[in-house]
Amino acid sequence: MGVPETVRAALADRPVQGRVCLEAGAGVGNATAGLLEAGARRVYAVTDAADHAAAVRRRCGEDDRLEVIRADLRATPLRPDSVDLVTAHGLCNLLGPAALEAVAAELARVAAPGSHLVVDDYAPLPDDAAVRRLFAVENAASELADGRPALTFYPPALLRRVFGGHGWTFDRERTLLDPVPWTESHLSAHARTASEAAGRLREELATPLEREAERVAADVGAASAGRMYSLAFGRAE
Amino acid sequence: METRPLGATEHESTVMTFGTIALNWLEQEGANQMVEHVLDYGVNHFDVAPTYGDAELKLGPKLRQYRDDVFLGCKTQERDYDGARRKLDLSLNRMGIEKIDLYQVHGLEYESELEEITAEDGALAAFRDAKEEGLVDHIGLTSHGDPDLIKAAIERIDDLETVMFPLNPVVAAKDDAEHDYEGVLELAEANDVGTLGIKAFAKGPWPPESERYEEDRPFANWYEPVARPDEIRERFDFAAARGLTSVVSPGDPKLVSMVLDAADRSDGMDEATQRSVVEAARHDDSPVPEQLHH
Repeated sequence: MGVPETVRAALADRPVQGRVCLEAGAGVGNATAGLLEAGARRVYAVTDAADHAAAVRRRCGEDDRLEVIRADLRATPLRPDSVDLVTAHGLCNLLGPAALEAVAAELARVAAPGSHLVVDDYAPLPDDAAVRRLFAVENAASELADGRPALTFYPPALLRRVFGGHGWTFDRERTLLDPVPWTESHLSAHARTASEAAGRLREELATPLEREAERVAADVGAASAGRMYSLAFGRAE
Repeated sequence: METRPLGATEHESTVMTFGTIALNWLEQEGANQMVEHVLDYGVNHFDVAPTYGDAELKLGPKLRQYRDDVFLGCKTQERDYDGARRKLDLSLNRMGIEKIDLYQVHGLEYESELEEITAEDGALAAFRDAKEEGLVDHIGLTSHGDPDLIKAAIERIDDLETVMFPLNPVVAAKDDAEHDYEGVLELAEANDVGTLGIKAFAKGPWPPESERYEEDRPFANWYEPVARPDEIRERFDFAAARGLTSVVSPGDPKLVSMVLDAADRSDGMDEATQRSVVEAARHDDSPVPEQLHH
């Protein structure tokens, strides 16, 4: 699986070569693959999900510069000031406000003076975007099951303030995707996330939510909506 | 229509090249109308081959009428001197013209063919002699094979002035060497070699014969094409924005009008939109586990 152009575009103007890097929220290792490709000295891919950790190992595990770490991003085993470059590629939308604040604090703790931060995420979707109906079901199931939203789309200005409050100096914003293509594979992944959350509820709630997730995903099909942006920050020496 | 310099040929090609294989599916009167239609949009670069049914014959009358307005690319699948020379004469005769502006090695596929065409008694020697005689102006190459082979050809053939190869979002989304046609584009640009894009409108392979017989396909393309005006525009703008000199129109006459319109209205595509198009195609091969993110 290749490096997505979103990752390449986000890293293009960052100093990756020879740096110790952290992918916060490794997912399937998109940014990890990009960092390795761009010549990182070491990449810590941190995720709390076993299937993601396994996916990253399968994808990039032969590279001895990679260390996959299963940990909560609010409290990683990394030492203070140990990382030169942090990426949060599509991470923040999976964090509710409380988790976002805690993760931002942790990333600041492990970042060395003079280090860089790249935050790539989705701007809030326009009101008329059909795909919002699927995210609504996903959020409803997640709120009922776990007491927190599955997805929160933060405006870039808000993330600038959050990370700015943890000692990062804003450097630049660029558009990675416009529009964002929500493909059938994305939609089915989101529908499955909604169904999994619904599955943790009692049956009379679970069944209609699961059905609604499937119905909406099929109904929406593939859709392009919204914008994916990249923010870059630096830390004082 | 926008024009771009075709490598070092000193010709300014329109951003759309007319793939004249479309004429093969029309009667002569319809073929004449199609050429008039294409010329009305200002298209000045045509591409033909003897293997396109009787496209050469159908192109002939209007080509002769408007010979000075058309930069004509033709090609041969012959790899040796005598065969290439014979095919060149045949093409000139079938179209009833004196000269071909761009003569191309057609469909290079194997390393051994690169050896053959560059040998002393190879096709390229015949091309060069034909240039001396004034039968051919420029030399090119076409391939939908291994990108590394096309790169090797660019490196090896000093007087190569154009390359024709596939470029579309599906190909751009694949990261392996086997699909690195963007690397071909870069190398061609660095060597001042003109670039002509094919398969810009290919959506994917046709379903297998077991699902739909060849004679039941709705389009005369080798691949299933995109066929809605918005998809055609997106594909055209993408291919043109990637930096090709010119995008070749697809082989089915039903699509040509839409491509003409797209080329006529084309005003670029910004990088975020290009990434969006590539990203949408990248998920055609659904990753496992499926992703929430781009």
